[in-house]
Amino acid sequence: MTKIADMTENSPEQRKKIYWKDYIKYIPEDDYFFFRSCIRQTFFPGAEQAFLAILKNNLHKNYFDDPRLTTCTGIGYHSDIIPLETLHTMIARHFSIMNESGYSNLVISCVTTFGVMIEVLNTWHEFPETLEKARENLQKTTGRTFELPKAIAHASDIIYLYRDEIAKQSVYKLINKETGKPLKVVDHVGCHYAKIFPHHGIGGAEFPKVLSEMIKTWGGEVVDYPERRHCCGFGFRQYLIKESRGYSLTHAQIKFESMQPFHPDLILTNCPGCNMFMDRWQYVIQETTGKVYSSSGNGIPVLTYEELAALLLGYDPVQIGLFMHQTDVLPLLEKLGIQFNKNEYAKLREESLDLAKIL
Amino acid sequence: MIPMDEIYADPRIRENMNACINCGVCTALCPAADYYDYEPRYVERIILMRNADALEELMSSDYIWYCGQCMSCKARCPRQNAPGTVISALRYWSQKLGLFIRSPKGRQQLIIKQNIGKNIYELGYCVHPSRLTMEEHPEQGPVWQWILNNLEKVHALVDGNIDKNGPGPMRKIPEESLQEIRSILEGTGAIDLWNQIEMEVINTDNDQNC
Amino acid sequence: MKKIVIIGGGIAGLEVSRLLLQEGFPVTLIEKSSHLGGNIRNYAYLFPDFTPSEEILKNYTSLPGNADLQLLLNTEIEKIDFSSRPYTLFSNDGIAISADSIIIATGYQIFDARLKEEFGYGIYDGVITSVEMEKMIREQHIVTPYGKAPRRIAFIHCVGSRDAKVGNTYCSRLCCITAIKQAIETKKLLPQAEIFCFYIDLRMYGLTFEELYLNAQKEYNIQFVRGRLSETSEMIDKRLIIKAEDTLIGRPLKMMTDMLVLMVGMEASNFSKQFAYHNGLEIGEHGFFKPLNQFNARGKSQKEGIYFAGTSIGPMSVAETIEHAQATALSTISYLKGKEN
Repeated sequence: MTKIADMTENSPEQRKKIYWKDYIKYIPEDDYFFFRSCIRQTFFPGAEQAFLAILKNNLHKNYFDDPRLTTCTGIGYHSDIIPLETLHTMIARHFSIMNESGYSNLVISCVTTFGVMIEVLNTWHEFPETLEKARENLQKTTGRTFELPKAIAHASDIIYLYRDEIAKQSVYKLINKETGKPLKVVDHVGCHYAKIFPHHGIGGAEFPKVLSEMIKTWGGEVVDYPERRHCCGFGFRQYLIKESRGYSLTHAQIKFESMQPFHPDLILTNCPGCNMFMDRWQYVIQETTGKVYSSSGNGIPVLTYEELAALLLGYDPVQIGLFMHQTDVLPLLEKLGIQFNKNEYAKLREESLDLAKIL
Repeated sequence: MIPMDEIYADPRIRENMNACINCGVCTALCPAADYYDYEPRYVERIILMRNADALEELMSSDYIWYCGQCMSCKARCPRQNAPGTVISALRYWSQKLGLFIRSPKGRQQLIIKQNIGKNIYELGYCVHPSRLTMEEHPEQGPVWQWILNNLEKVHALVDGNIDKNGPGPMRKIPEESLQEIRSILEGTGAIDLWNQIEMEVINTDNDQNC
Repeated sequence: MKKIVIIGGGIAGLEVSRLLLQEGFPVTLIEKSSHLGGNIRNYAYLFPDFTPSEEILKNYTSLPGNADLQLLLNTEIEKIDFSSRPYTLFSNDGIAISADSIIIATGYQIFDARLKEEFGYGIYDGVITSVEMEKMIREQHIVTPYGKAPRRIAFIHCVGSRDAKVGNTYCSRLCCITAIKQAIETKKLLPQAEIFCFYIDLRMYGLTFEELYLNAQKEYNIQFVRGRLSETSEMIDKRLIIKAEDTLIGRPLKMMTDMLVLMVGMEASNFSKQFAYHNGLEIGEHGFFKPLNQFNARGKSQKEGIYFAGTSIGPMSVAETIEHAQATALSTISYLKGKEN
């Protein structure tokens, strides 16, 4: 059985003084058991498919996409309708399915899932009686048993790990084709990636490097701005309940206002929720106040790390689902000089946004 | 009298309540503190007082429902506390003890139960395109309206597998898997909690109507 | 004649040397750097009365000329052989020195503020440490990294102290009063500047410290905010934004400032920790040497004839360091005369 101690904050390095900028966590290199995200599948299914395509076609890695997995129930847990014991048992079931499929390296698409899984492992480590209870509950409700994963990584960790290989194979760079200058990119790392358990994030909680190193490696310029570490504003129940949805909008707006003076060409995210919110709230702000945060188009394009990697590797923007964004990414595609079927893209955008002219 | 010992035995409280230095780093960056009249530091303070009346009052108020669960507080605390995780425990106990119906925000748990709870139980997903209507989610914009109108076509373009068998994004969760998670929801207290939420809110509404 | 070796040429080591020499004991003083004085050189003026630190160092200027003093600069002791008496010390350049008694006065190091990433030291140029501020105060020239006179300066207490996140859970004691001293000095140099001190608890433990605090408020209009710094960030014009809670009001506070001064705490030096580890000397839970007890043997180690002086056992002010060194000198003399073990 894997020692839980290896995977929790109480690993030996916790007591050492850590220069977080030098801190690198262990990331498994192959044989991934892929855990999908409810939000990603709902809003940007092409991003998850792009991730798997890159694993298969570009990095030649083995993965398994098990249809029996369900939601991790993390959104239910953080919006308080999933009791702790239920969460523990649900996570135990996912581990059991992974064991059954013969995998032990869990790769997670969603930052909420990543956070709850590590929280659960940590609780099991701190309070072993809760692990026993989870075993008992899982056995009782499903007849299943389980072992813990050997390694847990977020899908963005994998892209981070292979960022150089991706750069080597890439067709495009994060460089403005017209000016030859690096594109200015702001990163937004999901709160639950490293704020809860800093040892599980690359670079720790304050300045996680998972996205910024991708940006640098792929030729872009990372822009630091004052509200860089501020939450996107999801707030779980705050967003889910219409009455308090202003909470979500307010915090996204705080971020846009703070980054605007730096004129970013792109917002890069690693959390499915953040990506959707930063994409959609720009639309709402524009509709309600007329304010646009970009100098061209209808806002600052917001991409996920899988989408960006795929784009630079030459994948088709339609195939990876960029037309599903509300904030148009076309200005970015033009800056990058991406060659693609503009008619097809424009037609989809036209249908979706009812815009008279896009090209 | 609320069951203090049981509440304080919750791992989320035991793990994240190492006395408070009252420095305010949590409130300083808390999105909820920015938006509401809210302080995570106050939550830790009440928890540390171990006063049943004060805790019952807190769990009966809107106050515990302001947190957005971003957990930014955890990253900064010099005593390694996590007010956000303590909040999770208090919200659970507020619902379990029926205290949540005393506050308007607490009663909104019914909405969560009727949406997220229903999605999990019926579909095996927390969110699903079919459950995100423009009426409830106007912020999703015209692109979402179009996606909803063209779900199959859109998902086919991106190699999706919406509502179909086999692997892939938005696949139909196999019946056996749904049975398993329903069994877990029933066997570990989630369904009881949901019934409790529904009954309490309905009873309160009835009382108010009389 | 009994042989005494003192490790560390800061004020603790110097004061012990001075007293032992005065009482007729020859002394070998070993200092790893090229000069004597140690950390006090980082401070131009000392609290609570703004005494120039040179005045303290003046007490020791005649020491190097003393015929009974063997001074070894640029020398680091790596290993002590405790197996036979007298003990034998081995230096990094292979010198062996024998000693009947050894006084460890290896001092402290300041907390490395880069470990506290969210405060922005080493990331944003406007963030400096109290040691760097003291240098500007000495030069009577306080400027931002961009060459301008700062209009607003915030002093941040408890940097690397009282913080489980960086592994230092103790109070470093001197930073509160040092912040007030530096705030006053800054205000004198920049009368137009707004000055803020962000604290968790103000620990004015010295007899006259509270007066200095009062003075800072009354005479110098220094603002005290009860709340720890949560995060620093930088705007496009290079001004800093800091986030804290004003815990007396109970609301989050966001403030722009031109300069941020981190009051870095004292911690056990890496040298001390290594030295203790290699020589089987006991270290307390906070990394400093552990004295025999905290009451009447604060200068004694667990090993016979081995003593501590000054901040090698924990944070101390200059005055306390000198007093502790004096007490250790007396213990050592009593021991060498066979009156104490």
